[in-house]
Amino acid sequence: MSPEIQLAGIHPRSEKLIELTRSYERAKTSWSQVEVQFEQETKELVKLQKSLGFRHISDGALGWQDQLRPISRSLKGVESGTRYSRWFDTNTFYQKPIVVGKISAGEIDPNDFLRTELLTGERSPKITLPGPYTFSQLSEDKHYENYPDLLSDIAIAEREIIKRLRKEGVSLFQLSEPCLVYQPYRELFRNESEVELALNAIRSVVKDNPEEFVVQTYFGDVAPIFPKLLDLPVRSIGIDLFETNVSSLSEQTSKTLVLGVVDSRESYVEDPYWIADTARKLSEQLDVQNLVFASNSDLKFVPQGIANQKLEALSKASQLFEASR
Amino acid sequence: MSKLFPVQEIGSLAKPKWRTKGLRQPLSSQDLSEAEEWAEKLGIDDFHDRAKNIVKTCDEKERAKEVLELSTLYGLRLFETAGVDNDGVGGEQQRVEMYEHVIKAVQGMYLLGHVHSFDYKYFNKGVAESKISRKHPIYAPEFSDVKKYAQRAVKVPITGPYTLMDWSFSGYYVQKQGASSPKTRKIEAKREFLQDIVEQVVRPEIRDLVNAGASWIQIDEPAVTTHPEPQEMELFVEAWNETVRGFSCKFSDHTCYPSEIGYKVLAEYAPKLDKCDQLALEFANRDTSRLGVDESSREGYSDLKHFVDAGFSGEFGLGVAHVHDFTGNVSSGAGEAVGRDLIESPELVRDRLLYATKIVGNPAKIWANPDCGLRTRTWDVSFAKLANLTKGAELARETFE
Repeated sequence: MSPEIQLAGIHPRSEKLIELTRSYERAKTSWSQVEVQFEQETKELVKLQKSLGFRHISDGALGWQDQLRPISRSLKGVESGTRYSRWFDTNTFYQKPIVVGKISAGEIDPNDFLRTELLTGERSPKITLPGPYTFSQLSEDKHYENYPDLLSDIAIAEREIIKRLRKEGVSLFQLSEPCLVYQPYRELFRNESEVELALNAIRSVVKDNPEEFVVQTYFGDVAPIFPKLLDLPVRSIGIDLFETNVSSLSEQTSKTLVLGVVDSRESYVEDPYWIADTARKLSEQLDVQNLVFASNSDLKFVPQGIANQKLEALSKASQLFEASR
Repeated sequence: MSKLFPVQEIGSLAKPKWRTKGLRQPLSSQDLSEAEEWAEKLGIDDFHDRAKNIVKTCDEKERAKEVLELSTLYGLRLFETAGVDNDGVGGEQQRVEMYEHVIKAVQGMYLLGHVHSFDYKYFNKGVAESKISRKHPIYAPEFSDVKKYAQRAVKVPITGPYTLMDWSFSGYYVQKQGASSPKTRKIEAKREFLQDIVEQVVRPEIRDLVNAGASWIQIDEPAVTTHPEPQEMELFVEAWNETVRGFSCKFSDHTCYPSEIGYKVLAEYAPKLDKCDQLALEFANRDTSRLGVDESSREGYSDLKHFVDAGFSGEFGLGVAHVHDFTGNVSSGAGEAVGRDLIESPELVRDRLLYATKIVGNPAKIWANPDCGLRTRTWDVSFAKLANLTKGAELARETFE
């Protein structure tokens, strides 16, 4: 079977939707007009994924204002605040969650996370959420005296959110953990005990249904912690090939690897032959049998037309890869 | 001894409505009423003759040219009237903004489309579709008007090559790389793209500006603190040094709103920047709004120590006035919060300059300026801030006389 293709995060809005949202902000367009366009684009994205042979369908999270906000708003003890911080080393920003009390899952409205009505009946819906470690690292803690307590409570609360989303039919959960591989604004990074804490938090989130989880890393080199990630009881591990020293990877694995093999931060659409060839070399190097092709992170960093072309390139590459096996 | 604590502007001023509208459609006398009010304040004696020409001209290009020239004159006079010693290019009235203005002048690049920044905010991102070169002069026409009207010293702010590269897609430069490793391909593309921005776009522009008489060029590099990794910082230094190579004018760097790590990494690399006579940095945004020259009152200036410790020996353009919305409290005597604006008192400006002098050790190395361009403030607010800034510099100066 050819490698699966998956969306790995937030998909970009079209120029039309962008214009509508801007116009809405200037009070020149009603929200209902914006909403109609959100719905139409979500439907188009679902259709595109189906036409390209996706086995897990995502709604593209087109309405998400940043990668953390739906989780922030669903947690007791967390305020969204008004402060915007840079999203890693990109030119995009997120509202920094402020931890002001003990964290637990609050009222969970699945509609804050996904377009449930548009995914009803779709095969195996997938959702992308920030992992507990990344969420904790990108928050400002004003409550906990011990970081492990904060991390543990986030993990428990996230497990509750996931339980609720599972009831809506979501069957694949991507936990994005870029902070495991890249934290540009920390002076000390990747201390062994902290990595262990992070991995334990992930174990806590996934413990009910580990086979439903992908742990995705991006923006940094996965090589230093790759062996530890392979030990996680999850279905797949995702790696950013545009930041990873591939030659440093040597561990063989029976796990599925999600290859971030198209660059979400570059508009050049990768050649399907190059994608297939890159994947083939890596699969030989690691003797890995199960691969998923994806972008290295959210495609929201490129305009929508480019993002869609990249998905098409992945689909074509998947076929080429299979044909060469 | 030359004047201590000279005052400089940093970049943009808000564009008056008549300037924006006048580029798109004919203007009426009514449209120019705001300009008429300011003409008196700024001493634009020939306003009525200029306004008459603008209103009656049917030629779109001619109108646009006159409107741009007039708004540049206004910007310069606003700075001069407020007492600013170096008036830049009059508030960058002839530029759309710092990024698109350049991309539109680059052969081989175009604006690809909008990408999400946050909430319902987006930015238009350019891409290189072929080898790039400069299509036409970028800042030289503006500088020609500036030279005509400036009554004080000027400098030309330009967008730096590292920022242009970082805010753009490399496109063609990725495609042409031979390396098979995705990571290597990306790094090589970035390096080659940056080299071409330096050689094909920025250096030709600097050459034209210098030939036209520019004696000070401020290179704006806001993107540099986004990527604090050694490899990226080395790339920035390399690009800077190549950019300024062989030119004899004064160069300064302006980098504001650093990422969460602050200025620490930039400080480490600043001594490696050839011919970088001045670093113009943002501090007021992070400072308290209470008087005092002690460390806790002036906590926003703590990063200045990193530059001194690292051995940067040039001047500092010290951000002593906040340029964005203000929501905090203002202590007695430190200024006035008016709506979303903070008008710093001269005494607060003075204390910031004096505290910085304690760290830097030499008052002759310190210029006073707003944190960044004042484009988000109204002209009334910008004028009030700048006027107090110059008074504050004067107060600081008096302590040394």
